[in-house]
Amino acid sequence: MPRQTIVIDPVTRIEGHSKISLHLDEEGHVEEAYFHVTQFRGFEKFCEGRPYYEMPSLMARICGICPVSHLIASAKACDQILAVRIPPNAVRLRQVLNLAQILQSHALSFFYLSAPDLLLGMDADPATRNVFGLAEANPALAKDGVRLRQFGQQIIEWLAGKRIHPAWVVPGGVASPLTAESRERILAGIPECLGIAARALDWFKNEMERFREEIRSFANFPTLFMGLVGEDGKLEHYHGKLRFLDAGGKVVADYVDTAFPEYLAEIAHPWTYLKTSFYKPLGYPDGVYRVGPLARLNIIDGVDTPRASQEWAEFRELDRGAVLSSFYFHYARLIEIVYALEKIEQLLSAPESLDVNVRARANVNNGEGIGVSEAPRGTLMHHYKVDADGLITWANLIIATGHNNAAMNRGVLQVARHFVHGNRLTEGMLNRVEAVIRTFDPCLSCSTHASGRLALEVELRSHEGELLDTCHTR
Amino acid sequence: MSHTLVIGYGNPLRGDDGAGYMAAELLRARLQNPAVEIVSEQQLLPEMMQGIAEAKLVIFIDASVSGRTGKFNRIPLRPAPTCGRFTHHASPEALLAGAQALYGHTPEAVHYLIPGRFFEAGQEMTPSVRRAVNDLVETLAQELDAVTEATG
Repeated sequence: MPRQTIVIDPVTRIEGHSKISLHLDEEGHVEEAYFHVTQFRGFEKFCEGRPYYEMPSLMARICGICPVSHLIASAKACDQILAVRIPPNAVRLRQVLNLAQILQSHALSFFYLSAPDLLLGMDADPATRNVFGLAEANPALAKDGVRLRQFGQQIIEWLAGKRIHPAWVVPGGVASPLTAESRERILAGIPECLGIAARALDWFKNEMERFREEIRSFANFPTLFMGLVGEDGKLEHYHGKLRFLDAGGKVVADYVDTAFPEYLAEIAHPWTYLKTSFYKPLGYPDGVYRVGPLARLNIIDGVDTPRASQEWAEFRELDRGAVLSSFYFHYARLIEIVYALEKIEQLLSAPESLDVNVRARANVNNGEGIGVSEAPRGTLMHHYKVDADGLITWANLIIATGHNNAAMNRGVLQVARHFVHGNRLTEGMLNRVEAVIRTFDPCLSCSTHASGRLALEVELRSHEGELLDTCHTR
Repeated sequence: MSHTLVIGYGNPLRGDDGAGYMAAELLRARLQNPAVEIVSEQQLLPEMMQGIAEAKLVIFIDASVSGRTGKFNRIPLRPAPTCGRFTHHASPEALLAGAQALYGHTPEAVHYLIPGRFFEAGQEMTPSVRRAVNDLVETLAQELDAVTEATG
């Protein structure tokens, strides 16, 4: 049999446009697999020459799903350019906004994008394997998902004025304080949403048994894990130290977060616009690591909210070292939803949350600034250099999906080797190849506009380009 | 289930694609009727299903890639539980079906489509498309001005 390539283009139910190609050897076994990100944005280049204070709003335009994450990392980099310590309540309100973002994004990922596979099965009819099929099959679960995402989006709107691309986070703090009315509305919604999160966790834990094969084969291999932890080693999404943990569960190192250029490096591959980052001391590929909810729950020493702490303890019993299967990203997301709700309640219950001192003002005092925070999908890093007038001369962004890129590629290869055999394509087989990518919830900047309808088309071709088999979405 | 909901959607940073969004914005400025709720969003989202289920009539407004520019078309809508595989946005038909499945009610619904010509980056709409937006806003303002919560 000649060498063949299977192309899955586009990959569906992820944030952005990409494709997967699987290369078969002469016996029809999967030899190589690539995850190609096929969109090019150029944000790091076209922001050059813009004043630093425009950066949070400009960078938020990278994405329509996680604009808040870019706002926060960008504003933190600008805080460094100003060389200010922002008021404590500005930190608190930024934390609440970031957690609301994590809540809505995780709800989107779990309920809208992945639950259809989990509820209806990987082999179900693709025409129904979506959130609307979920609504037909399990209306209560779908309703819960809609409510959780809606609540996260509402918090963002109540705090920052609008749900998508708010401009409320600014260099030096936030633009306006929290009102008592907004605080009460947010706090009033927490108990209902905690109930929803608990139901979803119960449901998922019951379903896990059905997915033993996926747990075994979905990017289940040793890597490092990286993310922010609090100074006390506990779960943290806004600030702290950057921790690397090995697959055995041993802390490799704790670093000052803003010193990341010293221990992280990036490489480019010819098959994708997405750069791959790795841990410098171990080089590439030994320094491959994962970030995001799974990594965050692996690297920490504890959780400082009661229900999430209990869930985390149960989660950590899945493995003796780090929890390695990327299938458990889903599980980790649900635990982080519980945490986000509890933490928002904790932060807003303090009377200081209504403090009106929420912004520090200064001129340019540093030629360089670095901002690091935890986005829903993992650690987000913004690094800027400015001239004496505060105009951007250079910018570098390392996003969660770049941190995870090498692991995602290895994950696609692992799952393809497990499920794809010979030259006959089945929907369930291909869905599993896509589904491993979905566990990472990559964000390929969904703000890119797509005209018309996109369909999934898979082609199986010989190495000479001969079309051997095709598969289309209905 | 006593009010009218208007949802105008599209990307105002992509030329004529923003026609539906702009129509909703202009209608909000033009119409002062508490029985009419007007929403402008970049895209339709599953979170809208609850609000849709609570309305008596829903008017969706969007740009379309086909049709004669300078006009708008009115199309009745029926629930249809289908959607593409990019599932964090949705069609009006799927939202109506979802409203029925999740919240037990689907309202009467119509779709106004405004044909566009240019969908590239930029905030300017083609003049004929802008005229069609203004005409639609005028038509809807007159139609909805008399709507009351009691009669819907």
